[in-house]
Amino acid sequence: MVTAYLLLAPATLLLVTVLAYPVGWEAWISLTDLSPLNDRGAVFVGFRNYVRLLTDAAFWQAAVITVGFATLTTLAKLVLGVAFALLLARPFRGRALVFLAVFLPWAYPASVSVMGWYWTLSPPIPTAYAAFMGHLKGTVDHAIGTGAWSFLAVTLFNIWRGSSFIGVLLLAGINAVPPELFECALLECRSAWRRFWLVTVPLLRPFLALAVFLSLTTAFADLANVWLLTAGRVVFPVIGTQAYWLAIKAGQFGAASALSLMLVPFLLAVLLLLFKAFDPPDEARA
Amino acid sequence: MAQVLMKDLNKKYDEVHAVKDVNLHIRDKEFIVLVGPSGCGKSTTLRMVAGLEEITAGEIAIGDRVVNDLPPKDRDIAMVFQNYALYPHMTVYDNMAFGLKMRKFAKPEIQKRVQEAAEILGIQDLLKRKPRQLSGGQRQRVAVGRAIVRHPQVFLFDEPLSNLDAKLRVQMRVELKRLHERLETTAIYVTHDQVEAMTLGDRVVVMKDGWIQQVGEPLELYTKPTNRFVAGFIGSPAMNFVDVGIQGSDGSLTAQGTGIRLAIPPANAARLGPYKGQRVTLGIRPEDLHIAAGADQAPYVFDAVVDVVEPLGSEILLDVKAGPNSLVARVDPTVRLKVHDGVRLAVNPERLHFFDTTSEKAI
Repeated sequence: MVTAYLLLAPATLLLVTVLAYPVGWEAWISLTDLSPLNDRGAVFVGFRNYVRLLTDAAFWQAAVITVGFATLTTLAKLVLGVAFALLLARPFRGRALVFLAVFLPWAYPASVSVMGWYWTLSPPIPTAYAAFMGHLKGTVDHAIGTGAWSFLAVTLFNIWRGSSFIGVLLLAGINAVPPELFECALLECRSAWRRFWLVTVPLLRPFLALAVFLSLTTAFADLANVWLLTAGRVVFPVIGTQAYWLAIKAGQFGAASALSLMLVPFLLAVLLLLFKAFDPPDEARA
Repeated sequence: MAQVLMKDLNKKYDEVHAVKDVNLHIRDKEFIVLVGPSGCGKSTTLRMVAGLEEITAGEIAIGDRVVNDLPPKDRDIAMVFQNYALYPHMTVYDNMAFGLKMRKFAKPEIQKRVQEAAEILGIQDLLKRKPRQLSGGQRQRVAVGRAIVRHPQVFLFDEPLSNLDAKLRVQMRVELKRLHERLETTAIYVTHDQVEAMTLGDRVVVMKDGWIQQVGEPLELYTKPTNRFVAGFIGSPAMNFVDVGIQGSDGSLTAQGTGIRLAIPPANAARLGPYKGQRVTLGIRPEDLHIAAGADQAPYVFDAVVDVVEPLGSEILLDVKAGPNSLVARVDPTVRLKVHDGVRLAVNPERLHFFDTTSEKAI
């Protein structure tokens, strides 16, 4: 009995150090007014940080934008990713090149490619192109609202990079399915559309679920790309940038922790929904 | 009701010529087996019939329709795959009904056909289960069931028993044979197992390197192989081959190998006459060798040394050495011999095979 716990100890210790302790600490902080601006130590304030957030219009704006951003990008990435995977699953001339083109956005360092996007959308040197893009930005912002152009840029970047990843993930999924399962469908059904929904999607379910989960979590936690692409001029705040503002710029650690933790129930709910789908389809017991 | 015709069928991949000038007439209701070592083109041929591979050159007709340009779904065939290819997310019933649903059959008809097939295969109790909950044998039964509910013109089997353990394989083999006798549907069956080929096929097609080597009834392949490859491929343990020289006058030819000297029986003498002074390959099946007794004539007897003894219960496989030649003899289980014992073996003179050493064709 003792030996068993001793053997478990290293793993437990690791989990406590890297997972339980930080999360626990953050949960505690969110219930205090900890701030580097205060000379005194943290004072327990109960749920005041949460109450303040829930009654703050800025929070709700950020929440809506984050959910919208996550949903929109996930849908787009799924559609594109599935298309890439299906395209690459069959052999054709020049497949290696297409694979490279699909994979590159993911393999390329984000900080470098995000600069490329930034300069493409907001050219630093005044040229005719820069004038055109400036005009476009003005038009979009005017039509949808200030910051729409930036939001669009962030969304496009996320989709561009993420669909590459999801494409490769799903390609691995397709390759893990015995080809006979697809061939058998080919013998029975001529409509590629029906084969896709009746055979490909159910067979890829665990991979699709993983793709959705990864896409949602990265979209929810996205800070770096939004920050980089909008050069800090965050007009369309997401939860990630809000929390960053609160913690680093305003020094309100407590409120920032509360804000970050607001995401947890939502992500847990999504994870629970997806959890069943993670099992390979053949695990299901009738 | 359908015959299948293959005319000058060829399949070329970028660098591999997988199927070469295959001409085959499969009769209606016939159970034909394509057999050969891996890479011989048997599966590719089957997949061209199914429509899963494009035909490089030549023609395939099912019934009286050329199907070259027909999509697989419209060829009226049903295929059983080696790894069963059951959909893990569907129940057994849904797996079996899948093809019928795709073809928009009415629900009662689907139900009737699935029930019927399930009864034939003895899987009525499994219909609600998922493939995961089935044993290998049960899964293969479902895969066969999925094929028979379709009432196709032709069944295509791609090594359907290769994933099963030895005992189950023998059992399913018998069931498939019974099933074919009952359904009387034309069937093309691919296997690398010559025992499956011999036991299941009305006729057997032996392939190698993309070429058809021989087409014939099982016993015909066994007793009259057209070349050395077929002779060696069909039969287990394989035929013994000995390199010999043909000597003597027309009246009494002998086959002289190192450590073996046998008279050539009169029946073979005429055909072997032109080979006098040349080397040929002598083929002897293991069961055509026995321990020499008084009745055996001297010219058909040679001496050997026991190398390995393999007692199988019903018989003993005796691996012997005659000079540099290794041979296997199938002898009576009562024979008591030890390794290194000397043994005098006799051949069955009516059952000797001779092959041209260069062309490998039967003489």
